Amino acid sequence: MSVFIQQLINGFFIGSVYGLFAIGYTLVFGVLDILNLAHAAIFTLGGLSALWLTRTTGLPVWASFCLATLFSGLLGLVLYRVAFAPLRRRADSNLSGLISSIAMAIIFEAGAFEIFGARTVRFPQGMFAVRVYHFDSLTFTSLQLEIVAIALGLMVVLSLCLKHSRTGKAMRAVAESETTARLLGIPVERIISETFFVSSALGGAAGILFGLYFNALGPDMGRSIELKGLAVIILGGMGSIPGAILGGIAFGMSEVLTVALTGMSSLRDAVAFSVLLLILILKPSGLLGRGRIRQA
Amino acid sequence: MGMSVGNVARKTAVVAALALGLTGIGSKAQAAPGEAKIGFALSMTGAAAAYGETQKNGALLAIDEINARAGKNGIRIVPVFEDDASQPQQGVNVFNRLIFADKVVMIIGPTLSNTAQVADRIAQKAGVPVVGISNTARGITDIGDYIFRDSLTEMQVIPDTIRVVEKKTGMKKVALLYGNDDAFTKSGYDVFKKALEDSHIKILTEQSFSKGDRDFSAQLTEIRALKPDALVVSALVEEGSGIVSQARRLGIGTNVPIIGGNGFNSPSLIKNSGKASENVFVGAAWNESSSNPLNVDFVKAYTAKFGSAPDQFAAQAYAAVHIAVDALKRAGSTDNRKALRDALTRVQGLDTVLGKFSFTKGRDADCTPVVEMVMGGKFMVLSE
Amino acid sequence: MSEFFAVYGSLINFAGLNALLALSLYVPLSAGQLSLGNAAFAGIGAYVSAILTMRLNAPFPLAIAAGAFTAACVAVVIGAPVLRIRGIFLAMATLAFGEVVRIAAVNLAITGGAEGLIGIPSKTTMLIIYGTLGVAAYFLTILRGSRIGWSFASIREDETAAMVMGINTTLYKNSAFILGAFIAGIAGGLYAHLNFIITPGEFGFAAEVQLLIYNIVGGARSVWGPILGAFILTAIPEVLRGVDITAGPPRLFVNGLILLLVILYLPNGLSSFFKRAKGSSE
Repeated sequence: MSVFIQQLINGFFIGSVYGLFAIGYTLVFGVLDILNLAHAAIFTLGGLSALWLTRTTGLPVWASFCLATLFSGLLGLVLYRVAFAPLRRRADSNLSGLISSIAMAIIFEAGAFEIFGARTVRFPQGMFAVRVYHFDSLTFTSLQLEIVAIALGLMVVLSLCLKHSRTGKAMRAVAESETTARLLGIPVERIISETFFVSSALGGAAGILFGLYFNALGPDMGRSIELKGLAVIILGGMGSIPGAILGGIAFGMSEVLTVALTGMSSLRDAVAFSVLLLILILKPSGLLGRGRIRQA
Repeated sequence: MGMSVGNVARKTAVVAALALGLTGIGSKAQAAPGEAKIGFALSMTGAAAAYGETQKNGALLAIDEINARAGKNGIRIVPVFEDDASQPQQGVNVFNRLIFADKVVMIIGPTLSNTAQVADRIAQKAGVPVVGISNTARGITDIGDYIFRDSLTEMQVIPDTIRVVEKKTGMKKVALLYGNDDAFTKSGYDVFKKALEDSHIKILTEQSFSKGDRDFSAQLTEIRALKPDALVVSALVEEGSGIVSQARRLGIGTNVPIIGGNGFNSPSLIKNSGKASENVFVGAAWNESSSNPLNVDFVKAYTAKFGSAPDQFAAQAYAAVHIAVDALKRAGSTDNRKALRDALTRVQGLDTVLGKFSFTKGRDADCTPVVEMVMGGKFMVLSE
Repeated sequence: MSEFFAVYGSLINFAGLNALLALSLYVPLSAGQLSLGNAAFAGIGAYVSAILTMRLNAPFPLAIAAGAFTAACVAVVIGAPVLRIRGIFLAMATLAFGEVVRIAAVNLAITGGAEGLIGIPSKTTMLIIYGTLGVAAYFLTILRGSRIGWSFASIREDETAAMVMGINTTLYKNSAFILGAFIAGIAGGLYAHLNFIITPGEFGFAAEVQLLIYNIVGGARSVWGPILGAFILTAIPEVLRGVDITAGPPRLFVNGLILLLVILYLPNGLSSFFKRAKGSSE
């Protein structure tokens, strides 16, 4: 039994990081109907830039975290200006946007390669104290608690902002209908830029937390989470914020439960993607139905 | 719709680049007498880029030393480094280019066994000797009589490791964890499994992970519940470090040995996982702490030049260049591929950083594997 | 000349195969269906044909045909439910399908797991590759001018309108998907018998994206676009070697940059550039 509970803890933890990653993915999709495949590259660059800050400036971890999150947001602005803004008038902007985001992902990855090399890089040992808690045979660490708290905290803040702040309301209006938003006097361009900023900042933050916990960063770290993030936002319903959070946790759980119930870890990804395929076929709008960003 | 000026300029640039590239194809000068042109097909990008990087460093260091010492009549090496992007297709293109355009006398590489399976065939057909430096898969040297390797296979390393650890710890039941979508870690798993069965050690569970995974907690939780005497892991060092750290954190204490193969033999294992790496056993082809003066100098020079300690990939690349020069000297020519092949078959008891080195009849590596154990933050060599 | 072929023979072979693969994706794209499952169909063709020649000593043409038919049959089964999904969601569904196929190849014994199938007899020649490519391109050009091609185009432009006009969109979408899978299956079989070894990783996400890039860079509006895209992108690493960009990140960067410039400035791909250039000189 305690093994099972331990597995649930494992799943909840990794799921909350998936959720934080996916929330940025889904935010852009909700507002622009565009799948931003460069999101995983931002995730990678967020983690790597935090590491770079800690190493070269000797800043404490929390300060690097904030600065690197900010930097990721700025990268999001660059991404929007270069790859998405010029395509906005095109009829097929969601396909061409998908392609230009792939192009930017390749360019970002080349940048990460050039700057950090191909090797896995790590935060210095013992840079922050990690306590390990044992309850009976359950184990978790202070770092895990902090990461879950930050991830959930960011998600709650985002949800509240979307609901109550001016910008958040404007984002929802743009998601609903760009034309109407424009008629209402909402500065659509600016709102979309801000959406990219927020989305990428969250993606970067997820990369930093992921990097801090597993302490193995490299240009390839976004690759495995890229597909998982896609699965998560489909599971939760594309464009839905609560969906991305729950989808993330559900996906994390499905991973550990496959291992726990079948004892065969080789089935893990197969189960995840089969479930995804089934959901797309049976209920393409995702588990949370039509919960789009405008209803955040 | 008309074209803007910017558009035209951009298109012209693309066309110009294409034309330039095509004229650059084909004609490269032959090496001068006394100079041996050696091709290196390494993975500088893609999945194996991390290994290609240290391999290139190891090779560069050896080339610098050899060229500095060459003097007037010695053999100088002109390296041609190419990136196979960790892809067999690119590996084939690189081999063709090295063999037919650059006309190298031999090739060192490629990084991945998958690529070697395809690309080495081209070299064999063209009669160009190849020395693999990290290919450990079955059947690589069976491709033909021009294909060599200085890397010990898992088959040559692991059974010994299991025997030594069993003797030392008396382990009776173990858990196995391996990467199942990678040729290296999967074949390492096969060898581990057979060695364990041969020693009548019970395998409680077999768990797997995928390339690029960072989170191993689900598998390790299952393993912990079964209370194994030891954890046997087939993984490369990056995943290996993560597994070791997470296992200890989850409560598989340092009293439980963790056993790894060639993939674990890197100083970064200890650097990455710190105290968690205590009681990790490693079967390997190269012993970093060996007191062999060649090896001591190598570690020192490498660390000075590249700012970090070498790993087994760097050592095997470094050794391959020295093996090549040894053979070139005896071949009596720096551009006769056939003579070089024959000279390579006669490499016997050569002093290298890998220890006394020879090629077997089947052109595989013959040097003594070591079993090491992490103790007090250092690899210690175990003797039986 | 013989030296040229010695150096670039394999490159020319790969370019032809990649062009064939690009065409396999062109077919569903021409009917407006963004499939990211074609590399998986190529994988099915490759594994089935290789297993047939290796285990059962099947004649080469028969093995290729069997691989292609298996891919097409899987497409029939998968296509029926999946093609009801539109746009990006279809792309995701086919991508998930592709991952399932790849993971199956990793875990099954008959496919040789992660180490793949090794020792596939070498049967594919340059003549076979370019013969197949020629036939496929000819057939697709004919198709494009036919009623079927016209129906594909109307579905791509506006699926609802096409339905209103009385086009059986389900039938045509499925046909395009299955035909694409069939061509991918052939290409996969030829690839397996060129390369001696096949591994699951070669047919994964990265390969799917690569096929899409061929189509975008070349332009998916004509049969020649995907072929052009595949040729150029396959040749680029070699061309860059010619200008001494031999390794690492700069090469990756150039690939990304080309893709970005094409999508921003040549939405219909490089083939449209040649058309336009011709148009302006006339």
